[in-house]
Amino acid sequence: MFGKVLIANRGEIAVRVIRACREMGIGSVAVYSEADAASLHVRLADEAVPIGPPPAVESYLNMERILAAARATGAEAIHPGYGFLAENAEFARLCETSGVVFIGPNSAALELVGDKVRARQTMEKAGVPTIPGMKSVSSSPDEFRTAARALGYPVMVKASAGGGGKGMRVVCDESGLIPALESGMREAKSAFGDDSVYLEKCIEEPRHVEFQVLADNRGRTVHLFERECSIQRRHQKILEESPSPALDPELRARMGETAVRAMRAAGYNNAGTVEFLLDRDRRFYFLEVNARIQVEHPVTELVAGVDLVRQQILIASGADLSLRQEDLRQRGHAVECRIYAEDPKTNFLPSAGRIALLREPKGPGVRYDSGVYEGFEVPVFYDPILAKLIVWAEDRETACRRMSAALDDCVILGIHTTAGFLKDVVNHPEFRAGRATTSFIGKFFPSWGTGEGEEDGRRLALAAAAFEALAPTVGPESLSGRGGGKKDVATPWTTLGRWRAGGET
Amino acid sequence: MSVAVFDFLLDGEPRKISVEIRDGILIAREGGHVLEAEVRRISGSELQFRFGGRSIRIHLVRDGERTFVSVDGRAFVISESRPETGRYGEGDEKTAETNLRIKSPMPGKVTKIAVVEGEEVRRNQTLVIVEAMKMENEIKTAIDGVVKKIHVAVGDLVDSERPLIEVEKK
Repeated sequence: MFGKVLIANRGEIAVRVIRACREMGIGSVAVYSEADAASLHVRLADEAVPIGPPPAVESYLNMERILAAARATGAEAIHPGYGFLAENAEFARLCETSGVVFIGPNSAALELVGDKVRARQTMEKAGVPTIPGMKSVSSSPDEFRTAARALGYPVMVKASAGGGGKGMRVVCDESGLIPALESGMREAKSAFGDDSVYLEKCIEEPRHVEFQVLADNRGRTVHLFERECSIQRRHQKILEESPSPALDPELRARMGETAVRAMRAAGYNNAGTVEFLLDRDRRFYFLEVNARIQVEHPVTELVAGVDLVRQQILIASGADLSLRQEDLRQRGHAVECRIYAEDPKTNFLPSAGRIALLREPKGPGVRYDSGVYEGFEVPVFYDPILAKLIVWAEDRETACRRMSAALDDCVILGIHTTAGFLKDVVNHPEFRAGRATTSFIGKFFPSWGTGEGEEDGRRLALAAAAFEALAPTVGPESLSGRGGGKKDVATPWTTLGRWRAGGET
Repeated sequence: MSVAVFDFLLDGEPRKISVEIRDGILIAREGGHVLEAEVRRISGSELQFRFGGRSIRIHLVRDGERTFVSVDGRAFVISESRPETGRYGEGDEKTAETNLRIKSPMPGKVTKIAVVEGEEVRRNQTLVIVEAMKMENEIKTAIDGVVKKIHVAVGDLVDSERPLIEVEKK
């Protein structure tokens, strides 16, 4: 086993990996940009190494600096988390040639599945169903136009190096094609440093169902069932669950077996996910392989009872996979909500700034994976994920209720977050009925913030602010215990609100 | 006891609320709605409201003139009401009756400028793209007009204070 692991990431996933290292008796090394000197992962790791200025290209994407940090600290392995260098085959190869273990798939498999076009070809050969699309990337507008006509609109622009919806655009007719390509390429360039894009036929109103796979270095491969990730905004998952309400045992077994076959065809090792689209007629299509630990991995951990990050480290260290497919079971139901620093009331604009107050939800079956703390200044440079709230319960309905209650206890003040919006999603009848597809958010939440149910909350918030203005010095006893707050109604009034005494009674 | 009346802005919307505390009960009135609740202070940032057999914990924290309040997982920003001169886009300012000074709604980096000075623009046309937290945000004009001045260049880091572009109404 490794003595020391470097975590080439930030935020909640860096914290997650550091915790796994600690439990396994492995030393942890954090790396951080100038914007992250006070970040939680830096505070928790055994050692921390600065790797450059805030922009990711100069720090978290800087392979040389990260490898230098590994050499300087004597780390034997690098966990890349998700995003940044996690699916960068060049980085995996650099690690291999510098004698540092990359905790992820081998560079050849990574290169294969990371190249979406080659991945499709491999999957087709292995008999895995794929979505009709371009056989290669292109930079010629004419080629794209011809391909789009052949596929038939609507089509989807996808980044070859893609993931997380970055660079992805739906195009409904030819007039929208070139702007979508330009903007998709720009976003792909900024997210992955590679602007190659291609087109695929757009499957309308599909579900997004993915299978978690673990494979050891000797090719023993198992799947740990599915995650349903249909609740998406801008092709970005915001809520995930397992099991999927759309699968029955027969379809689950068939898709799981296909996922294992796909990973074997790619020569894949370590943890990875095979993403499928499931259409209305329960046909499924290979979408892509996510060659990394995923944001939504906790839902699988809770229903399968397997620590995926620990498994990643074990496999990378050369251990044989101890899990056998026939022993694996899905137990109960897990739901995850991603808490983002975005304002749902202004079409999800990013909301950076200082977290003035933070209270984490707790309770039976409640897990909170966070990368922030009270007083932390959320930087503008990176993904807006703050934390993930994950719940487990015996069945789906109970898990949804538990999630709703846990979101009530999720307090992050000072910046905008998506917590209130997610609560409306979890409580939406269509979601509760298990009928949500990837069109769910666009269809049922085209805008948000003026919901009827929110009005009570608004009034209570106003009453609380008024109370605070009236009696900011009242101690821990209740008002009734002090015979009324009259004495406390003093000068601090003027700090909040224009007021006048008297008037109505 | 006397009644205090507050003119608040809740997420930018003016709201008037009157409150009194009588026999340890907070009575809040807003329009035709009345709330009577027993209020207990749990800590400097937490209140407990009890009413109608329910208990609700409310968290709040003050930051300058804004108070952030969390009720059942929903967050609100409450501030002192100030007379406003009409609203255009997010945080945009009218420099004169006819002009629009467009700001970025959040800090970020300018990745594209889609117009040139002197260009005619239509309402909702994209002027600038600002990238923040790896997401592209299109900054649009709220009026028809002519681009009078571009204050930024591609690659500039912008905050939500500095104007990006000025549009003169036709």
